[in-house]
Amino acid sequence: MGVMRIGHINIRVLDMPAALKHYEDVLGLIRTDEDSAGNVYLKGWDEWDKYSVMLSPADRAGMNHIAYKVENDADLDTLKKRIADYGTDVEEVPAGQLPYCGRALRFWLPSGHLMYLYAEKDFVGKSVGTTNPEPWPDGLKGAGAHWLDHALLMCELDPERGVNKVAEATKFMKEVLDFRLCEQVMVGPDGDIQAATWMARTSTPHDIAFVGGPKMGLHHCAFFLDEWNDVLKAADIMAKHKVKIDVTPQRHGITRGYTIYFFDPSGNRNETFAGLGYLSQPDMPVITWTEEELGRGIFYHTGELNEAFTTVYTEGA
Amino acid sequence: MAADMDPTKRWTIHIRDTDEHYDCDAGQHLLKGMLQLGRKGIPSGCHGGGCGVCKIRIVSGEVETITMSRAHVSEEEQQQGYALACRCFPRSDVSLDVVGKMQKTVCKRRYGFV
Ligand code: FES
Ligand SMILES: [Fe+2]
Repeated sequence: MGVMRIGHINIRVLDMPAALKHYEDVLGLIRTDEDSAGNVYLKGWDEWDKYSVMLSPADRAGMNHIAYKVENDADLDTLKKRIADYGTDVEEVPAGQLPYCGRALRFWLPSGHLMYLYAEKDFVGKSVGTTNPEPWPDGLKGAGAHWLDHALLMCELDPERGVNKVAEATKFMKEVLDFRLCEQVMVGPDGDIQAATWMARTSTPHDIAFVGGPKMGLHHCAFFLDEWNDVLKAADIMAKHKVKIDVTPQRHGITRGYTIYFFDPSGNRNETFAGLGYLSQPDMPVITWTEEELGRGIFYHTGELNEAFTTVYTEGA
Repeated sequence: MAADMDPTKRWTIHIRDTDEHYDCDAGQHLLKGMLQLGRKGIPSGCHGGGCGVCKIRIVSGEVETITMSRAHVSEEEQQQGYALACRCFPRSDVSLDVVGKMQKTVCKRRYGFV
């Protein structure tokens, strides 16, 4: 019941041919469709719905919206009421308005990011099918990413002006959409300012994350790989394709994931994220990272935030 | 100086802020050449024209630009010479001002990320 998982992300790109080279040849996503407006739809080989990435041609980089899939159509009615009762404007859009999806709920998170919830999307199927499947398909390109794993959204944080959109977005996700808080970063003189959160609906450490920054935006969207060796190989592929890498293979302290941060040709940050981290469950106690160890939380080995972490990102709306 | 489209040419770029010069091939973007100076504090981010940290203003000379996010350089600004260094390829000697700034070092952040 309720939200199952991340459904898709709609990313704006400045140069579609360059973007496709990146998302297809480097990440290894599979193109499933293209519409008359020039939007291109892609999925990972291990995903069954029609798309998890929608690329839209635009003159500014960033994210248009992010969408999560709910389990049953009736969940949309329940959640619509809960969103409205919370005091957030919510609109129901008819089937097809969200491409290849059934009816959907459209609303803005307190952080200013546009979110959709939907229950149905056109089915395509995994590349290996469902009858006696092979463990992976032949002909994968690049990193051969399995699926869109999560997104990290930047939220405005300015404690001196009393602004904390991380805390507001987290509260909304928890109280309205039943996301569980798995990890958080607490900062400030009294350690009482929630500066970043990692939240889940699946049994992974996060299906969405919020980090405080000077302004709201899209920090990254992440694609799943199995394990450390796949991460190394993905980095080799990026080097081969002269992809701008932000952070070379490393471990996150938070979520324990194995990561690479890199940029698509429009400057939107991507991540390849491997390892399942740990099993997250409703009764798992919340993990807290303090300001002193925050660098280690993000980049476990160097223990330092790189300069780009909170300054380099694209628009979130 | 007139624009020269020969992609094999190498041009001299002048950073007015620090009064430094560097060479940049016509096929290499201005930010890449700047980074080869090996100096700290050069605003370098996505190298895709999306994040805006490498914003510069071309004071003189010719560059060829490729797509830049309008979130960071409006059409009006572009006419005034503003551009993103990672999207500019020199077509003559160029003189520029650095406009974008990376947020200062970690120790200046008072609340972890900000
Ligand atoms: S480095 Fe991001 S716009 Fe140039
Ligand atoms: Fe991530």
